[in-house]
Amino acid sequence: MTYYNRRQFLTRSSAVGFAAGLGAVGAMSNMRSWAANTSGYKALVFVFLKGGMDHADTIIPYDQASYNQITSVRAGLFGSHNFNSSSSSRNRSNLLALSPQNASDLGGRQFSLPRELSSLKDMFDREELAVVGNVGPLLNPVTRTQIENGTATLPARLFSHNDQQSTWMSFGVEGTRFGWGGRFVDQVLNSAPDMNASFAAISTGSNDVFLSGNAARPIRISAGGALAPSLLTSPSLMGRTAGDDAARSRIEAYLSRSDLGSRNIFARDLTKAQAKSLENAEALTAARESSTPISTVFPGSRLGAQLQSVAETINVQQRLNVSRQIFYVTMPGFDTHSNQAEDIVELHQDMADGFAAFRSAMQEIGRWNDVTLSTMSDFGRTMVDNGDGTDHGWAGHHLIMGGSVRGARLYGDYPDADVDGPNFTPFGSRQIPTVSVEQYAATLGRWFGLSSGELAQALPRLSEFNTSDLGFMS
Amino acid sequence: MKIGLKTLLIGVSSLAVVSCGGGGGSSSGDLGAPPSAADPGSPPPTPSPPPPPPPPPPPPPPPPPPPPPPTVIGTPGSTFLATKQDVVRFLSRASFGATKPQMDALQGTYAAQWLSAEFAKPASLTYPRVTALGLPIEQVSYSAVRAQYWDHILTSDDQLRQRMAYALSQIFVYSGESNITRIGRLAHYQDVLINSSLSNYRDVLEEVTYTPAMAQWLTYMRNRKGDPATGRMPDENYAREIMQLFTIGLVELNMDGTVKTDGSGNPIETYNNSDIIGLARVFTGLGYEGPDFNGGPRDSERKRLKMFPEQHSQLEKSFLGLTIPAGTPGDESIELALDQLFEHPNVAPFVSRQLIQRFTSSSPSPAYVERVATVFENGQFTDPETNTVFGTGERGDLQATLAAILLDPSTFSVYPDGTDTIIDGKVREPILLFTNWARTFNVGPVNTLNESELWDTTDPGRSLGQQAFHAPSVFNFYRPGYVPPGTESGTANLTVPEFQIMNESSKTAFLNFITKFTYDDGFQPDRSVATFVPDLSEEIALTNDLPALVEHLDTILAAGRMTDAEKQDIQAILEEMSIDTSSSDAELRDRTDIARVGVILVVASSSFAVVW
Repeated sequence: MTYYNRRQFLTRSSAVGFAAGLGAVGAMSNMRSWAANTSGYKALVFVFLKGGMDHADTIIPYDQASYNQITSVRAGLFGSHNFNSSSSSRNRSNLLALSPQNASDLGGRQFSLPRELSSLKDMFDREELAVVGNVGPLLNPVTRTQIENGTATLPARLFSHNDQQSTWMSFGVEGTRFGWGGRFVDQVLNSAPDMNASFAAISTGSNDVFLSGNAARPIRISAGGALAPSLLTSPSLMGRTAGDDAARSRIEAYLSRSDLGSRNIFARDLTKAQAKSLENAEALTAARESSTPISTVFPGSRLGAQLQSVAETINVQQRLNVSRQIFYVTMPGFDTHSNQAEDIVELHQDMADGFAAFRSAMQEIGRWNDVTLSTMSDFGRTMVDNGDGTDHGWAGHHLIMGGSVRGARLYGDYPDADVDGPNFTPFGSRQIPTVSVEQYAATLGRWFGLSSGELAQALPRLSEFNTSDLGFMS
Repeated sequence: MKIGLKTLLIGVSSLAVVSCGGGGGSSSGDLGAPPSAADPGSPPPTPSPPPPPPPPPPPPPPPPPPPPPPTVIGTPGSTFLATKQDVVRFLSRASFGATKPQMDALQGTYAAQWLSAEFAKPASLTYPRVTALGLPIEQVSYSAVRAQYWDHILTSDDQLRQRMAYALSQIFVYSGESNITRIGRLAHYQDVLINSSLSNYRDVLEEVTYTPAMAQWLTYMRNRKGDPATGRMPDENYAREIMQLFTIGLVELNMDGTVKTDGSGNPIETYNNSDIIGLARVFTGLGYEGPDFNGGPRDSERKRLKMFPEQHSQLEKSFLGLTIPAGTPGDESIELALDQLFEHPNVAPFVSRQLIQRFTSSSPSPAYVERVATVFENGQFTDPETNTVFGTGERGDLQATLAAILLDPSTFSVYPDGTDTIIDGKVREPILLFTNWARTFNVGPVNTLNESELWDTTDPGRSLGQQAFHAPSVFNFYRPGYVPPGTESGTANLTVPEFQIMNESSKTAFLNFITKFTYDDGFQPDRSVATFVPDLSEEIALTNDLPALVEHLDTILAAGRMTDAEKQDIQAILEEMSIDTSSSDAELRDRTDIARVGVILVVASSSFAVVW
């Protein structure tokens, strides 16, 4: 009895990996002298906090004057946090004060994390986590006065979820075709044509524009998802005779065909997708079969499951023949128009647990210095609350963590809560960004190995800003 | 009547119902001025010209685009359902899938006749199903409620109404909360859509606005008027999304759904931030039906929301050129606001194009959109072949709109033989792939409570990747303007929303999902009760004539669209499979296997996935 066993499913895998490499060589004849550095291994992991994370309820002013100011401006929200109760997460005595190494840059102001983020506080103290303040989409630096005068040039469709998600990822509103993650991968593939392009851009969350490039084709990897067709690998399906094995071979060949003669354009694309799906499944299955699994236990949250997929894929990176990878992870739930005091506490706990497990896993496999995790979000939120929540804002604060981060520092700006002052839009209490997404991206891209010329190509308005390196990567 | 060539000629413009094509233009004045200074009709405040941005660095040389494949244009065809394939194709669009009895019964009729019959049927609702589970509503588990919608769409007789309600659920997106405590809210919302789905778009807009489900989802439940003392503002969420997603969209549209441009070639935004601030005041003061703004009796979760006047903004409400005077009561303000939104000229093309995408065409031509939008405006459609008149003549009539979509002769196009590319049809999303499988093979008994694989089908990595009323956000499972990168369709600038969730990452999971169900191998909490068992008796009988089996599956599933290569390969696979004739049990087992594998491969095929 010889049912079609896993070994047989895998026999094609090495050949597939080889073929993928050859294909990449053919496609990438366009070599450049200013090529990206693709030596060693590096990965960027982006966690998109969908809905717009309330930066001001995450990086919380701590010195008494700033704390008094924000609890007054956000009286409704802090009230729903019961901040005067000694057991409240937002009671000043329960906040985890940060001691940044660049405290002298902050004019005496102090900041803290809520206690739910204590594992991130630990990373901060270990110099593995940095905060970048007041980041948002910009076409060029703008001031409140320019906005009041009507002379500011501003990104389109500010405050709209899907458009600002797209703008963060691609510098254009929804419908834009290429994201800067995909552009980064394009540059890497240009410089390293024999790299396996199939595993350079990986999404574990929603299928967004961020990782789309010319050569970059994001694939999705699901935690716990079956990789191979069960018809081929499950002996309980079909029969176990030689004829049935022959049928399985034919099924595998059929599913591998990227052209089945359809004249309908949509059907043609679906056939190609099926073939690619099988090819990727075989390569990933083979790589995992021959690697030691990670033993770190991840939390059961959606974020935890996604970060586990990222970790597992990084773990088999060498067998996939890829030395630069960008991962895209999504965490929903941050659109806290109401019930924020309850919801954001849970969201923060999920973040902290997921990120801490990811750090453990990377340390377990010796990759913590080669991996940088950073956050993105639609926007920050309004400084003035709406009672028990907050509305769509503009700039927000973001987190960077990893063994190569110049941590224990607060980069960027942290405007106080004076919504009538120059740091806020004239109407709506939204923070005006002073750090552009492109500067944020460039700092990460340079660490990833991209040259200045390549960064300029991927980030078309970078030259509008005074520096392309915010300094948070070593 | 203007019909014509159009299914195919889809240009750049058609991708842009919600996108402006990716430029990222700039807007000024959007957030700077308080509402009074930002009259939508007036020009922006005297801009001193912004300094010209320095030229961006030269972009990388794009790879030479592959030559566009030659495309062929079909001839619009008749809505007469002459063959079984015609019936399967039509009911794939208009219902959750053709049953075998329907395939026989509808042959030789006109599509319009079926429409008339469907429009006459009473609505079947989901809330009675939930109560019929025999448990006090407080004790029904959430997974039971969300699962029973599968039962509902698979077995309800009023298929067209249900299909329309499902389509509307992808415009008026409400997604069930995971930690729901008020369990009837979802069923109530489903019934609101089912009840209003064949009425008028204006009715749907109002009914939805007053549902507890939507109010909770888009956070205007107990939304209080602003408080100048604390600076508290009304929640803006619903004001924004009702404009962007439910009525007018972000940019001005032509009747054919293409984007209008100003003198400089830029899209014209439909609203600005001051419109949102004005409209947000309208949606204040709504709470659960009951005496108390802050609470509500148990059954209020399935009742129309109540206006609490003391919590409703008394300020003037200005938006989109309408000013509702200070002191106007809440319900009246909402009435005026919904009228103003509904009267906007964008509504017809904005809604029509999305409805077309949900029934017949993933990337409809501008001409098709214009024909349907015109019917939406006129409220009436006359079927040219049967002279049947659909609709009341009132703007926004959904029976007329639906008839215009489903009976448009371009969707019955006939193509000449050859090798040229055909751009036509709708990609069936995963929910429809599954329901078509289930109805074709008359699965039974349909009881989702005993089919836990169906309780949560949202994970694209190990399940179907989609579940009705459980989109990841108010932006649905996919966006109507999605142009899939790295595909031939994307290169041709076609929108294919469904490809946002159907791609190389989810293909194998779908194959495994349909394998599990065809083998009746899903997890059943009560193993003693077989549920969702496909009836394959006809297919098993055909295993002694494999070419006939493959042709049969092509007809009943793919409406005859499978390619020769697909059919040959599948036949060759089935021919390899052994049949043990040593006993009748063994032979039946092996023949059942052959039938199953044939069904699985056809249902997972690209030709089944596109209805054209």
